[in-house]
Amino acid sequence: MSAAAMKLRPGQQQILRYQNGKMGVSAVPGSGKTWTLSYLAADLIKSGAIQPDQEVLIVTLVNAAVDNFSARISGQLQAAGLLPGLGYRVRTLHGLANDIVRMRPDLAGLSNGFQIVDEVEATRIIRSVSETWLQSNPEFFEPYLDFDESQREKIYTQSQNLPALVESIAVAFIRLAKDRQLTPPDLHRLLAQVQIPLPLVELGAGLYREYQDALNYRGSVDFDDLIRLALRCLESDPSLVATLRQRWPYILEDEAQDSSLLQQKILSLLTGETGNWVRVGDPNQAIYETFTTASPQYLLDFIQRPDVLTRSLPESGRSTWSIISLANSLINWTRDKHPNLDARKALNPPLIQPTPPDDPQPNPPDCPDCIQLVEQLLSPDQEVKFVVDSIEAWLPEHPDQTLAILSPRNTRGFKFADECQRRGIPVVDSLLRSTSSTRLSTSAIFHILNALCDPRESGKLSTAYRVWRRKEREDEQRWPFYQAIAKRIKSCDRVEDFLWPQTANDWLTEIKAEGADAAVLDELETFRDVIQRGQNSVFLPIDQLILTLSQDLFLEPAELALAHKLSVLLRQLSNAHPDWRLPEFTEEMKQIANNQRRFLGFSNEDTAFNPDLYPGQVVVATMHKAKGLEWDAVYLTAVNNYNFPSGEEYDQYQSEKWFARDHLNLEAETLAQLNALTEGRAMDWYQEGAATLEARQEFIRERLRLFYVGITRARRWLTVTANSGRASARNVPARAFLELINAWEKHK
Amino acid sequence: MALTSEQSRLLDHPSTRKIALVGPAGTGKTTAGTLWLKKLLESGIPANQILLFIPQRTLAKPYEDSLWDDLALSQGLVSIVTLGGLARRMLDLFWPAISSQTGVAQPDRPPQFLTLETAQYFMAHVVRPLIEEKNYFESLTINRNRIFSQILDNLNKAAFVGFPIEEIAPRLKAAWVGDVEQMHIYDDVQASALAFRSFCLEHNLLDFSLQVEIFIKYLWPLPACRSYLTQSYRHLIVDNIEEDTPVAHDVLREWLPDFDSAVVIADREAGYRFFLGADTQSAMTVVDACDETLLFEKNLVSSKDIQGLQNGFRRAVASLMGETPLQQSLPGADATRAIVTPRENPRYFPAMVNWASAEIRRLIDQGTPAGEIVVLAPFMSDVLRYTLSRKLDEYGIPHHSHRPSRALRDEPAAQTLLTFATVAFPEWGLLPQRINFAFALMQAIDPFDLVRAQLLSRYVYDERAEGFPLKPFEEVPAEVRDRITYRAGERYEQLRSWLAATLPEDDQTLDFFLNRLFGEVLSQPGFGFHNDLENANTVATLIESIQKFRWVIGDQLNHDDFSTGKEYVQMVADGVIAAQYIQPWQDAPKDSVFLAPAYTFLMRNQAVDVQFWLDIGSPAWYQRLDQPLTQPYVLSRRWKAGEVWTTEDELRAANATLLRLSLGLLNRCRQKVYLGMSEMDVSGYENRGLLLRIIQQVLLETKRGIR
Repeated sequence: MSAAAMKLRPGQQQILRYQNGKMGVSAVPGSGKTWTLSYLAADLIKSGAIQPDQEVLIVTLVNAAVDNFSARISGQLQAAGLLPGLGYRVRTLHGLANDIVRMRPDLAGLSNGFQIVDEVEATRIIRSVSETWLQSNPEFFEPYLDFDESQREKIYTQSQNLPALVESIAVAFIRLAKDRQLTPPDLHRLLAQVQIPLPLVELGAGLYREYQDALNYRGSVDFDDLIRLALRCLESDPSLVATLRQRWPYILEDEAQDSSLLQQKILSLLTGETGNWVRVGDPNQAIYETFTTASPQYLLDFIQRPDVLTRSLPESGRSTWSIISLANSLINWTRDKHPNLDARKALNPPLIQPTPPDDPQPNPPDCPDCIQLVEQLLSPDQEVKFVVDSIEAWLPEHPDQTLAILSPRNTRGFKFADECQRRGIPVVDSLLRSTSSTRLSTSAIFHILNALCDPRESGKLSTAYRVWRRKEREDEQRWPFYQAIAKRIKSCDRVEDFLWPQTANDWLTEIKAEGADAAVLDELETFRDVIQRGQNSVFLPIDQLILTLSQDLFLEPAELALAHKLSVLLRQLSNAHPDWRLPEFTEEMKQIANNQRRFLGFSNEDTAFNPDLYPGQVVVATMHKAKGLEWDAVYLTAVNNYNFPSGEEYDQYQSEKWFARDHLNLEAETLAQLNALTEGRAMDWYQEGAATLEARQEFIRERLRLFYVGITRARRWLTVTANSGRASARNVPARAFLELINAWEKHK
Repeated sequence: MALTSEQSRLLDHPSTRKIALVGPAGTGKTTAGTLWLKKLLESGIPANQILLFIPQRTLAKPYEDSLWDDLALSQGLVSIVTLGGLARRMLDLFWPAISSQTGVAQPDRPPQFLTLETAQYFMAHVVRPLIEEKNYFESLTINRNRIFSQILDNLNKAAFVGFPIEEIAPRLKAAWVGDVEQMHIYDDVQASALAFRSFCLEHNLLDFSLQVEIFIKYLWPLPACRSYLTQSYRHLIVDNIEEDTPVAHDVLREWLPDFDSAVVIADREAGYRFFLGADTQSAMTVVDACDETLLFEKNLVSSKDIQGLQNGFRRAVASLMGETPLQQSLPGADATRAIVTPRENPRYFPAMVNWASAEIRRLIDQGTPAGEIVVLAPFMSDVLRYTLSRKLDEYGIPHHSHRPSRALRDEPAAQTLLTFATVAFPEWGLLPQRINFAFALMQAIDPFDLVRAQLLSRYVYDERAEGFPLKPFEEVPAEVRDRITYRAGERYEQLRSWLAATLPEDDQTLDFFLNRLFGEVLSQPGFGFHNDLENANTVATLIESIQKFRWVIGDQLNHDDFSTGKEYVQMVADGVIAAQYIQPWQDAPKDSVFLAPAYTFLMRNQAVDVQFWLDIGSPAWYQRLDQPLTQPYVLSRRWKAGEVWTTEDELRAANATLLRLSLGLLNRCRQKVYLGMSEMDVSGYENRGLLLRIIQQVLLETKRGIR
């Protein structure tokens, strides 16, 4: 259906009238901004505003949105009789930075074959750098710590304590330094100029240098480098900017509330003073700000500029009036009554308005009874039980509806998933980990590799057999046959007599003599062929080994593509770690399969999650991951003062370690020292403790927005619960949650 | 064979003329060159008076074939040389006459010629301390081995273009528009290049750049050398002169008057080796110095539709570069008929490979000979080559690839030998992991499987041993010996006692050790390399690589605690030494599908019926290599001092490169081009490079009726 044929809301109509210049749009959850923006892109292409060698550039936040945009735009172009796939380019900021840097790698000091390390390889490097640092500087943290001497060992060695702290400081420091476009030599120079000691910066700078050296050794950059270097390329070559302005005459930016300083700089350069730039976002949904330079303020400031056309999308047909009222009352209470004055700017109008009566996406009929705000404080176990009990009762009555349990953290999410599984409730936890199909495929390769690493173990061989036949699991009648075979393989004492029989010692002959039937023998022979091929290929370079195995393991195109991608990744790792052999690669596959490293696969689930595909099942996700998604029913869990503090005396903060002196948030203090250094007034600017307090405020604000995001995921049913945390924590329901209960009582 | 009018005209000339043949590829120039060679020989000119001068050895193939066909004619040998080969030959002959001028520390001693590998090794030796102690190249993100190879590349460019090596950094810096702070990397390049050059001179080592430089500076002007060359060679044939370097052109231009006859062949719209220093402009100065130029215009290879496609490419590139396209209409040509694309673009990379393989099978079933099909990609990655090969094997389609061999560390045979070496010399402290030892056993003993090899290694191999780490088979528990089999045990015992009797490294070299290990044990009946020619080849390459390493490195770095063998093994593991060699393509089966990088195919200079271009979205089709420490444009002779290199230049260069490459490929295609791409490349990136955009443009134009 074309835009003209479809009934547009007034806000959408105004936006689609855009022709050129700068426009800022503030949208509310569920107002259809992706729809509107993709329509705008298609309209621009259809109207002939784009030359054959030009593209409308759409920049968005996450990979999932890239596919979503592309599909929508190409659908509209096809409907208009045009070639799909031409005239536009949808990119995340990382994707865009990658495009820019690959045009002129020399300007960025890169070789043209440069590699990008994924987050897990980056984390591995940081971990190893941090460990080495801590070993050689065991005394460093003494002045910052406050603990009972009997706990020394625990603090220094347990991974969740000091080692984790150093690692988190390294991560935050390196990210901020890159955001500020500072290299290790830059920091070294700056440090040499200041008169006062900035020990935390010295720590960060040392870790940063080691980390960068490790990346250089691999000829690789990380995701933050890509962005920093893209800006460097643009700033250093005006003709690159001119070329790209010509190529991308229109830039449409989605999720602009999470824009970082560098993103803003890059897009400003690409559009120039007179260029065409549309920024759409919801400042109330800015939830990626902690320890980054991302801020909704950039969007808010942009919208205020005199040369910017201001528009809004305040109508949303997503939720019932009750849920909209709850979300709006959270905005109002925050702005007017939050006891912490600094927190009041966390949420801002526009308030959400329901859609007009004849709208094509009308709000669901109101249902006040579908709202359940559980005031009673539950223990963590009670909360799990309460939520899963409730779902167990709800699901059979609503088999066609979608449902999600959202929690602030992954670990908590798994508890709900486990309980659902235990009770036989269908659960989808792919948003908590690498997608399940990626995991299954990777796990299949892992188990075969594992059997190759230790070929004498019949247990591993039996597992390899199960994953090889994993697809048969769906056939309930046949599966017992395969299970029996797996059991039989496991019982084989001398694997060599099965896999590589000698005349006198042939396991298959033995079991034939014992009466095994022909189907079993055939199956075992077929499997033996597969393993023999694998064992004969163990000498191949790892990438070729994976590809060889994948020929026997996979049939689906996405699975084969995943095998190719894995082989490229392992090849890179093999170049970076020449000493690695099969056991190390197998371990790597295990980590991917167990999701200790998130690996973006090729299945549709990886690129875009569609909740509507899972009616009658329980989707478990973090509140962060749920952004951009919606369900008929939502359970918001763990809404206590630990996850959503409000600045009360008794609140505790996740980043303040129990062993740190004066509740110092050492990550925040390190970054504050870095800021002080780069702003050139270290002496005046850095005051110990101030950053810790500021970080609290920032966290409070971000968590208010996260709560808002959580509420607005629900279409009809919303349940909110709080838990007390561990026994020692004594958490209480979050202040904002209690206020919501009050407002709801009044509303009713 | 029917001759074209141009070929007949050439052959009508007496063998006292200097004639240039100029025209696009596919017009019969090289054939004319081979006919000219034949004519010279038939007229009684001794073969050894004829010099065939080419930029790269593979380009001599048509001449070698024609000589081979007519053995009787070539009594004596026609000399086939490249500039590098000529330089080295003259250095061998005339070293004493010029050594004192060259600056080497010991002019009375012969020089040692460095191979690519040994040059890379010494570069690493010189530059590594600068990186580690002086933070050289700190602001770069690049694998170290690439730093070394790019510095060598800069040195080679200086030699081939003919400017002093001291000018490398000033030239690169003057053209730089990027971040000013980044400019210091060029100072680092300069200092490294100079340090390497000093090291070479101090140790009488001649890398490739020094060989050429000394030849040009001291040998070429040397009357004795000159008169030797003039007297030896009276007739010159130069082919693909556009692929050669300015310094080669200088030499040829000066030398030309001394020959009795010359045929100089130049391809128009070529210059594919630009990244290696080729210069089409200076090539034309040699053409101009000839007595006469014959133009070859008529395309003998491509169908009309392919020629229409070429015109489409020319127009599309012109329009992308903002130029007015020349409307070259070709009646009856339809570019779309020359192109085959999949009905739907596959999303994933393997699907593209499957499509290509299935189409190849269909073509062969319909009668296209396998040898008339090539599969080209800008960069033939291991994954692509491997997947394609597997698929073609599955269909039973013969195929071959012209590529460097696998790096030594990826060759199972080399790994096996080096594993045993580390076991035999435990004093190196490089004992292998148990799994590697098991792999080596599995390779070495025949027949032996992975399960039994693991079992055996578990009982006999101690990876933490201080000394020799292998125990005798008889120490394995009897029950386990049964499982391993006594036959395998016996062979293990043979191998173990041989290794146990190894002399210390002081008394034998690694190459000698491996030679004996291979000859006395592993190639014997009952062992894995018995009658295995492919592995024997790998072992020969390994041993040769070690020998060269030892001759050059052992001499230079010979001190008490230095073990050449250990150093070699470590360098192989680090990838510094890959011993990659180009598999001789003469060995390629005649009728088989050829898988190659696009440039490799071009340098083979042969036409086929059908080409597959894979991965057409990739930027590697036009992106310049070897960034960021070198710059072929800025270091070329045509670069004007004081100009800066901007993104506009980069795009212009990319367009020109792509046009040159695509026309070159189409000139060597008779009927059809199959275009393969997937939405995502092998790493999951979405690529929409220039080639894709050009093809779209061509298709659109064709649909609009412009032929």
